Amino acid sequence: MRIDSTVTAAMDCRELERSIDVYLDGEFGERERAEAEAHLATCTPCRAMADRQGAVRLALRAKLREAMASPAAAGCAPPHLRARVRTSLAHERRPLWRRVLQPVPVAAVAACAMGVLVVLAGHRGDTALVDDAIRVHHRALPLEVDAAAMPGWFAGKLDFHPALPHFAGAVARLEGARLSNLREWPAAYVRYQLPRGQAGLFIVDDPDRRFDTPGREVKVGPQVVRVVNARGYNVAVWRQDEIVYSLVSDLDEDALFKLVQAAQAEAAGGR
Amino acid sequence: MFDLRQNDLTRDEFQELALKHIDPLYSAALRLTKNDRDAEDLVQDTFLRAYRFFDKFERGTNIKAWLFKILTNTFINRYRRSVKERNIVEGSERDAVHERFVSREAAEYAANPEQYFFDRLLSDDVLKAVDSLPIDFRMVVILADLQEFSYKEIAEILDVPVGTVMSRLYRGRRLLQKALASYAVVSGVIQLPESEDGESIDLETYRRRRGKSA
Repeated sequence: MRIDSTVTAAMDCRELERSIDVYLDGEFGERERAEAEAHLATCTPCRAMADRQGAVRLALRAKLREAMASPAAAGCAPPHLRARVRTSLAHERRPLWRRVLQPVPVAAVAACAMGVLVVLAGHRGDTALVDDAIRVHHRALPLEVDAAAMPGWFAGKLDFHPALPHFAGAVARLEGARLSNLREWPAAYVRYQLPRGQAGLFIVDDPDRRFDTPGREVKVGPQVVRVVNARGYNVAVWRQDEIVYSLVSDLDEDALFKLVQAAQAEAAGGR
Repeated sequence: MFDLRQNDLTRDEFQELALKHIDPLYSAALRLTKNDRDAEDLVQDTFLRAYRFFDKFERGTNIKAWLFKILTNTFINRYRRSVKERNIVEGSERDAVHERFVSREAAEYAANPEQYFFDRLLSDDVLKAVDSLPIDFRMVVILADLQEFSYKEIAEILDVPVGTVMSRLYRGRRLLQKALASYAVVSGVIQLPESEDGESIDLETYRRRRGKSA
């Protein structure tokens, strides 16, 4: 663009001072830049000010890089984070049709068209309560707190109070907990040791009912529980007021129902 | 109809393009969340979301800016509520820092103030000063002065007008200098040029006025 000298006037000192960052950042348009430079060419104090601000800018940027860019510790993603991201990407987002169909056994498709419809409907939408729960549980991340230190540990760490169920002692032994998330929503993750294997319980608040309730509906005691079998895990999902529980285990269904029943009795009694 | 390899190709392409930005993303996440664990979760969530929305990414545009936008949105949606903002610059800590700067060095400072001032800052103090900024200013300074995004890119990342970027940046930089000074300066010995506190550049007004007078 050609600069028309008739419309180009120098800035005054105050204008230049107030827009000095924009000038130094190289963000002025051509005409504004010409106006700023016209002023700087004739004003010694402003030139000194611009030089000083320029030096501050350079020094500040150098310091920020030194403190916050690689190779500074605060500027390098730790190696285990890279590995974690790669692993989670590897588990993430198969095409929709695969995610929908995989939990449906081929035999069931052949056997019962109605049943298939029910299962498919159950798997539409946000399946965080099952898919994310299984993924996180399967990763077996280290626990942040052991059973002994758990009372009160979640206080202040979540926006809701995760009321922990207590399973009848012999069935499931509380191992510990960590903070987790289902999709982007913070969740409590509690791990239990079972006579064979282990179970992971996710507790998440859901006042707006944003989670789809997946799977097959089963009545366990007074409550409706939904059950899904996916990727080798049986998952039970139930709701208590605004709190949703998702229990991931490798138990068979009968054993899982017993566990859920025990949990509900305790949670209800504990209120 | 369905090509499984296509999925793997997309994943490979995503990893190739996106993962090389993990260091700057982690650096920003750490300054936003102020702790390792949340920063790591935030970065992981950012990559997962980016991958889910990768079909929305326009090939050939700036993927680093796009990732920063997702990081910022994820932080606001998920973490901002729970992260407790602390005011780092507390009295006793500041006093301890000040003791490192003794008055016999004042003459050296007078000769070359900025050089002197910045050379003596420890990285830890820089981090604390950055963390002490209100989050809107902290973010814009990081994006401009560390990641060197343009105003327009920052406006897109933060979803605010360019004018807001300018005024936050102006204010944020001066707040940062002030915070740095509070770590590095003995009261009364070194005085930073501190003239225009609180005033933001009003480029729009300037342009309007220029337009009229021309």
